[in-house]
Formats: sequence, C-alpha cells, structure tokens
Amino acid sequence: MNLDEPAARRRLTGYIARATGKRTATIVALERMSGGAVQENWALDVELDGELQHWVLRTDAQATVRESLTRAQEFTVLEVAHAANVFAPEPLYLCEDLAVTGRAFFIMRRLPGVAAGHKVTRDSQLVADPARLARELAANLARLHEIRPSHPQLGFLKTMLARDNIAHYRSYLDTLPDAHPVLEWGLRWCELNAPAREETTFIHRDYRTGNYLVHNGSLAGVLDWEFPAFGNPLEDVGWLCARCWRFARPDLIVGGIAALEDFLAEYERASGRTVTPRDLNYWQVMAHLRWAVIALQQSGRHLSGTEPSLELALTGHIVGELELEILNLTRSYLKNT
Amino acid sequence: MNDRPNARELLAISHATFTAEILPALPEKLRYTGLMIANALAIARREIEAGDAPARAEFERLCVLFSDGPRELAGDALAVAVADYNHRLANEIRAGRFDQEERAVLLEHLRRTTGAKLAISNPKALNAK
Repeated sequence: MNLDEPAARRRLTGYIARATGKRTATIVALERMSGGAVQENWALDVELDGELQHWVLRTDAQATVRESLTRAQEFTVLEVAHAANVFAPEPLYLCEDLAVTGRAFFIMRRLPGVAAGHKVTRDSQLVADPARLARELAANLARLHEIRPSHPQLGFLKTMLARDNIAHYRSYLDTLPDAHPVLEWGLRWCELNAPAREETTFIHRDYRTGNYLVHNGSLAGVLDWEFPAFGNPLEDVGWLCARCWRFARPDLIVGGIAALEDFLAEYERASGRTVTPRDLNYWQVMAHLRWAVIALQQSGRHLSGTEPSLELALTGHIVGELELEILNLTRSYLKNT
Repeated sequence: MNDRPNARELLAISHATFTAEILPALPEKLRYTGLMIANALAIARREIEAGDAPARAEFERLCVLFSDGPRELAGDALAVAVADYNHRLANEIRAGRFDQEERAVLLEHLRRTTGAKLAISNPKALNAK
C-alpha cells in the first residue's frame, strides 16, 4: 500500500465517510510522520461535514517485529488505557478490511506536543517545570498499572515476569552465531537476584522519554502502545529510569528530565507500592538487557540482507554502551556473597 | 599491493571532508542521515586503525581465564579462536561458574573487552561519567 496514491486516498475517504456516518468527508492533508521503523504513522486531517479533524492513521510498515501487537490488538489496548484515564491518544476507528489500503490500520485522535527525546531533554522552554512533568508521568504510570491481568479485553497479552524475561532473552541469544558474554553475565545476575515475589499488572514496556508528548510543559499523552504485556510494574519504572533513555541529560535519572525523587515519591504515593534502590537497580539492569537484545535484533535485520539500512546497522554499535552500563549496575547485590 | 592512500587513510580524509563540507550544507531533513554516515565512517576508520590488537588482547585474557597456554594467532584463525572461547565463556557464565570466587576476574575481563569495543564503536561513552 502507498497512501500517497490517489486511488488509495479515494478508498480511504470512502471508508472514513462510512465509519463516521457523515455525509461528506474530505481528506485535507495526509503526510507520513517521522519515526516508526515498525509502524507507519500518517498525520491525517479530515473535514467532516465542514468540521476539521486532526487524526493519526497508524498502519504496519513493511517490516514487522515479532514482538509487536497487531493493529487490532493495539487498538484494543488504547481503548482500555483510555478508559482507565491514562493519557493516551483516543482510538477512533479500526479498519481490518485489506481492500481499503492493503494493510490493517486504525485512526486515533492526534495529540499536540513534542516527543523527540533530544528536544525534551535539552530545551528548557519546552519543559518549564521538570519536577511537575515527572510527577505527571508517575501518576499516569500508576493509573496504567491499575489495569489487571483479569481485564476481559486483554486476554491476548502475554505475561512476562522477571524470569520470563530472562528465559526469553536467553532463547534469543541462543539463535545468534556470536556469543555475548556481558549480556550473559547480566542475565545470570538478574537470575540470581530475581525478586522472590512479583506483582503482575498491565505494563507498557516502552514508557520512556521520546515516547510521550509534552505540550505546554505538561504530559499530553503516551505513544507507542505496540509492546505491552502483563508483568512486573517496576519493569516500566526501570525502563523510564534507564541511562540509555536519558538523551542529552544522562545525569537526570528519570528519562533525562528530572531527579529520581521527583518521580518516585509521586509514583509510590499514587500506586501504594514501595520502590527500593535495589528494585530500581534490578530493573535498570533488565532495561539495558532488553534494549541490547532489541538492538541486536535490529542490526540483524540489516545484516541478514532483508532490510539494508544504515540506521539499523548503527544500532548494532550501541550494544557496547549498553553492556558498559550493565557492568556498572551489576557490581553489587549478588546473592550469597 | 594497492597504491596509497590505503583504506585507513581514505576513510580518514573522507570523514574529514564529509564533516567539513557536506554535513553543514545538508538540508535539515537529511541531517540525521548525514550524521549517521559520518559516524559509520569514523567507526570504520577506528576499527581499521586498531587492527588485530583488541582481538589479540581479548584472546590472551581468555587463554588465562581458561588456563590455556598462550598461542600466536592472527587474522581469521584469531577471530575463530576468540569466538569459540566466547561461546564457552557464555555457557559457563550461564551455568554459574563465575557466581562467587571467580567473579572479580570475569568482571575485569568483561570490562576490558567492553572498553576495547567502545574505543572503536563509541569512544565518547567510554569517557562519560
């Protein structure tokens, strides 16, 4: 499918008229948005009976990542998150009829704001009160973690607790031609230090700077709902606080925007959980392991020759940086020592 | 033997010229791609400059870790030997050999290997913190 083709646009216009039940629907603008190696996002402006709507059309890119949800599942996740008062784009219409554009897609409301990590962490005009933004991220994450595995609409999500993650990453490393001793060390450390008991909630699994929109200094919405699961809620906390997602400000633990206390006090208050330094350290290690595995998968897409890409190729070269952080974070806490 | 400048020298001057003349002239839309090309050229140059030395140092440490005597290897044979050792190392880490007494020795080795890798792929990360 190519949404730049007039025929595809005509079919899309017809679909929108049917889906909305309006008499006239006109596509005013349809432009590919930046980012999204896995999914394509298109900024879509539509006039419905004379009223202008700002939407995003989200569809599969050519290459699919095996861990990603289908568009229909992602649409359901957005519905559930939205109903739970989590800041997220409101999902509007799901189209699984391949006759329209050739691929499944859904339409959601377009939120205002800036997401780019290097801007959010660098531009103090954008985030006038970083501590407040950190509290908003915390309260929002606590609301998200109130969604439980018993939710009737989310039966398709898998459960990934600490040991499931370890097994999953090991099974992936076992498919690679080269061994990765630092990652093996990190996984062994995580195995030895795995929490005895874990709470299981809905988790976003990509809740980080770069994936949320900041508008007028406030959290406008969280994006990229393609990798959620049921798991340990602290996995999301570790991911948000991992060094690899701090962009221009590695000194600011919470996503390169704020100090830990700014976030943690509010998360603990809103969720009723206690996050110890040991918990945080553990899930920061897991975050770097996960990102390293994803980076290896991405460079593998280039190396296999199926998807030659300079960006994917260079992703292979960030593994060393992630390994260094894993070594820095695993100096203590080994059980029985 | 090919004429000079050699691969390292050609990469060095390509990187310098690209950074000085092409990158500033690129429109905003292509800037990220330009930065990626500059980065890739720099990594390739550093890898060629380092040559066999990082692999040889890693191999020597692995020989000690596995109580094997030193061997003189180069080129593909060296790469294969390092890869074989690393498979063994990965398996033994997973099996728990380094959980206790040998942990410090392992971490020292991994730290050096990672340092050598970053010296090529991202020297800035090595100096951070």
